[in-house]
Amino acid sequence: MTILEVQDLKTYYSTLMGDVKAVDDVRLRMDKGEALGLVGESGCGKTTLALAIMRLLPWNGRIAGGKIMLNDIDIVGLDDKTFDKEYRWKKMSYVFQGAMNALNPVFKVGAQIAEAITIHEDVENPEAMERARELFRLVGIDPERTTSFPHELSGGMKQRAMIAMALACNPDFIIADEPTTALDVIVQAQTLEVMRELQKKLGLTTMIITHDLSVVAQTCSTCAIMYAGNLVEYADINTIFSEPAHPYTKALIGAFPSIKEDRRELVSIAGVPPNLLHPPTGCRFNPRCPNRMDICSKEKPDYLELEDGHNAACHLLTKEG
Amino acid sequence: MNGEIELKVENLKKWFPVRRGIVSTLLSRKTDYVRAVDDISFEVRKGEIFGLAGESGCGKTTAGKTVLRLLEPTSGKIYFEGRDITALNKLEMKELRRRMQIVYQDPYQSLNPRMTVFDIIAEPIQVHKMSDSLAETEDIVHKALEEVELIPGEDFVYRFPHELSGGQRQRVAVARTLVLQPSFIVADEPISMLDVSIRAGILKVMLKTRLAQDVTYIFITHDLAYARHICHRGAIMYSGKIVEMTSMDHLVKHPLHPYTIALMKAVPVPDPEYEKARAVIGGEVPTPINPPPGCRFHPRCSKASDICRKEEPELTEVGNEHFVACHHAL
Ligand SMILES: Nc1ncnc2c1ncn2[C@@H]1O[C@H](COP(=O)(O)OP(=O)(O)O)[C@@H](O)[C@H]1O
Ligand SMILES: Nc1ncnc2c1ncn2[C@@H]1O[C@H](COP(=O)(O)OP(=O)(O)O)[C@@H](O)[C@H]1O
Ligand SMILES: [Mg+2]
Ligand SMILES: [Mg+2]
Repeated sequence: MTILEVQDLKTYYSTLMGDVKAVDDVRLRMDKGEALGLVGESGCGKTTLALAIMRLLPWNGRIAGGKIMLNDIDIVGLDDKTFDKEYRWKKMSYVFQGAMNALNPVFKVGAQIAEAITIHEDVENPEAMERARELFRLVGIDPERTTSFPHELSGGMKQRAMIAMALACNPDFIIADEPTTALDVIVQAQTLEVMRELQKKLGLTTMIITHDLSVVAQTCSTCAIMYAGNLVEYADINTIFSEPAHPYTKALIGAFPSIKEDRRELVSIAGVPPNLLHPPTGCRFNPRCPNRMDICSKEKPDYLELEDGHNAACHLLTKEG
Repeated sequence: MNGEIELKVENLKKWFPVRRGIVSTLLSRKTDYVRAVDDISFEVRKGEIFGLAGESGCGKTTAGKTVLRLLEPTSGKIYFEGRDITALNKLEMKELRRRMQIVYQDPYQSLNPRMTVFDIIAEPIQVHKMSDSLAETEDIVHKALEEVELIPGEDFVYRFPHELSGGQRQRVAVARTLVLQPSFIVADEPISMLDVSIRAGILKVMLKTRLAQDVTYIFITHDLAYARHICHRGAIMYSGKIVEMTSMDHLVKHPLHPYTIALMKAVPVPDPEYEKARAVIGGEVPTPINPPPGCRFHPRCSKASDICRKEEPELTEVGNEHFVACHHAL
């Protein structure tokens, strides 16, 4: 069952120098229970896509085209009031990048979660506090810690508390933006275990945004690769790693070291991602692509379905012969 | 690499006094210390890349800076090419500074924002009087830019750091280091703030001089996958101590210390076919103020027994150049 469908979404930021085309014609579908990893270099538009879906774009950001269907309703057209009341927190919520540092230092963490619950649902405080304790248990923190202040929690616990908060009103769908980027390896493993548990226990649909392919390999069932505002490939996680179709996907995998493989020379991707004020014409990856052809700087490649559930946008895939 | 010892560190300690509130100062006169580096010993061979790895707060940066005497050691000895540099005065140290360099983690903070790329790279050349004329300085700067693959150099010399990408900035930082022709470089997480896609390129320009000029590196990282691909030998630190040290390949394949084993299991593998990373230990790295008696890792260790709570294990050779500090590793 489709829970989220993003159709040809354009999200631009207006600046003095013109529009930053942070998300441009993105097409994406997520099924219920899917765990999607959204991967790409910094600045490619991952957070912008999440903010557009959550309707949390900053003042200079706007949806310049396309639709975002949540359970078959286009949420782009909804008025703010309905969206606030019925969607954000309840149907979907967002653990934003760096969230663990955003807890209010003067309030106990349990009270902050309870507050989120009482704002969005018609429940009394004691019940909300009990829910907060349950949520702590769910993310693997001792419920007694709900009476702690943020500074009394370690970084890993704060991150889990933020995940607990996102779950406060039982959403079906959550987006976690770089949930483990600032964490050390053992704490990262603890957090990833919690994410996997939640997916299993609650049947939660999750989008995990990260620049780290290994995090995706560990927690996701599908993977979308984003480059310079475009989705360039989407497939189930095994296909992405074993049969990547797009040269960018291949290059990313080649750049990523694994502790399980013998010492080898790591290969970086030449050049830098483009400025999204003036992205290259044709395929946006063409200036850095090892397989570039004439057509690549002229025509934008279609985002094709190669097989059921495997999409990619690259001229190599349609080349004659 | 010819097995010659370039750097030898003996019983190095760096303790930072903890600032305390007025009340506790009145109540007791004892000062607490953060034992950021607490009695570590190791050797680095000429031309080698030696890894210092561990989670944040374990003392890697403090160890790296103290080894260069950018921080004064609390106690211990540091021998560079056989000479005890802890005994050198400022003037003698200045001469050595050129040859012992550091590349920092954050290219956004390590470059002066008001200087052009040219001035940033020319400054150390002038400080160390490595050029006789402006023309010679210009020549060295251009060669350095070429070396770090900022090409053509003319496009970069007049730019300011904010006009560069993170990767380009780190290349400038590397160029600034390499113009001094150092023989020893501490690289403190030089790629951890950069995108994965460009990290290998920075590593390449940083490390290619190693072979040509026999440069020795301490490569500090929290990322064991990178450590495996870059370092020859390495040490794992926990709470100011070295807990295990051997060749990087051996360390990854046959870890003995329970902490190293836990670290290895926690490293996620970028391949969905692999077993998932697991946290086999709970908790997080403690700040090393008043560390527990005995082994520092014992509160989190499943193997901990009485002796671990009482006696601090020494770093002991348990096999061919494989050192472990654990009462139960044998
Ligand atoms: N408020 C803003 N105004 C203008 N440009 C922005 C704004 N926020 C982000 N951008 C730009 O949009 C692009 C995408 O950013 P972002 O979605 O944050 O990428 P990611 O999360 O993948 O790192 C970048 O080029 C970024 O500089
Ligand atoms: N200047 C300082 N004063 C007090 N404590 C410090 C100072 N520098 C580092 N520390 C502490 O020493 C410990 C080791 O820090 P650091 O060497 O930066 O670790 P790493 O580089 O492994 O993350 C940490 O607990 C840190 O808070
Ligand atoms: Mg982001
Ligand atoms: Mg450090």
